[in-house]
Amino acid sequence: MLNSLLSRYTRTLSLVLVLLLVIVLELFEVRTSIYGNALPFFEWMRNSFWLGVLGTTYGSVYATVEAVHLLSMAVIGGTVLAADLRLLGVIFKDIPSETLTRGTHKCFCISLTVAIATGIFCAAGVADKVYYMEVFWIKMLVLISGSCFVFLFKQPLLNSRPHDEINPWALRLLAVTSLLIWFTVAATGRWIGFS
Amino acid sequence: MINELLLQFGQWMEAQQYSQMLVAGYYSYSWLEATHVLSLMLCIGSLFIIDFRMLGLVMPNVPATTIAARLHKPMIIGFVIMFFTGVLLVYAKPVETIQSLWFRIKMLLLVLAFINAWVFNTRMQAADGSWDMDPVAPKPLRVGAIISLVLWCGVVTMGRYIPYDWVDCANTDNPTILWAAGCVEQLRAL
Repeated sequence: MLNSLLSRYTRTLSLVLVLLLVIVLELFEVRTSIYGNALPFFEWMRNSFWLGVLGTTYGSVYATVEAVHLLSMAVIGGTVLAADLRLLGVIFKDIPSETLTRGTHKCFCISLTVAIATGIFCAAGVADKVYYMEVFWIKMLVLISGSCFVFLFKQPLLNSRPHDEINPWALRLLAVTSLLIWFTVAATGRWIGFS
Repeated sequence: MINELLLQFGQWMEAQQYSQMLVAGYYSYSWLEATHVLSLMLCIGSLFIIDFRMLGLVMPNVPATTIAARLHKPMIIGFVIMFFTGVLLVYAKPVETIQSLWFRIKMLLLVLAFINAWVFNTRMQAADGSWDMDPVAPKPLRVGAIISLVLWCGVVTMGRYIPYDWVDCANTDNPTILWAAGCVEQLRAL
């Protein structure tokens, strides 16, 4: 019985494990001990020509990449809002939620890829600063948790069966979690600029 | 003449107690800026989905006008938040912002984006609706969507440039840039 239960909820359990890992990393301050190992990577990013040096030497390049990062975050926001507000039954009530979640996912994936690529460039320009920022590491943890949530849990569940066969409260919970995750990613990203 | 008037208006705003409070507050300016940027996700995110649908890039199997109609409200809510936080951001640093070349280009692009949105809406309402289920919208609407995407990308990019000081009044002596940025005192000193 336990076996069948575990195999049925593999993805849910994977996600719970990832979240537990994040909590353990935080609570037992394992993350801070990883800091030391990550420092050489951040120094390499900062001194790499195509990343840190290019961004700091040419301010206009850095600002333009920042703008692309913001625009890709805006598209992520648009796709997340359209799909999740439909799951919550706030907008698009006359369109099946399956159509919306599938229709926006590709756009979400492309925007997330662009946001991560431009985010790496932006972080590289100030790698010697962000490395010491608590808010940067929180953003990274939320981003990793969010990506795991979307690709290991949310999308597989939504694609697995018609949405009217899924408990409505599970759908609502998915939508709220997704909205909270991507709002936190955006808000912590903005806060890096102020820290 | 217009630059002198704008500068006087900026100086008047800067002398206001509330303007100084916004900058002096430890978190107030940061909160304003964060809200302004986050509302981008609501406004421009919704707008881009509409434009992408017109170009057939997202949800080609959903009627285009339905997407435009349903995302209109979140877009307007996002825009209202963005507008008011934007006004407060200008109010907090009026002289610096009014004399920013990037801010001026941003405002110009915003006006163009509004004209385009108006033309786009007029064309959409005038169309007979037979294209609604087509994967891509008719050419005039596609052109409008591309112009909208370009203009809003420009608005966001110019907004991102504002904090940088490459062409601030104190950092350039190019008369054209000084005139375009409204650097009245620097132009007089030339």
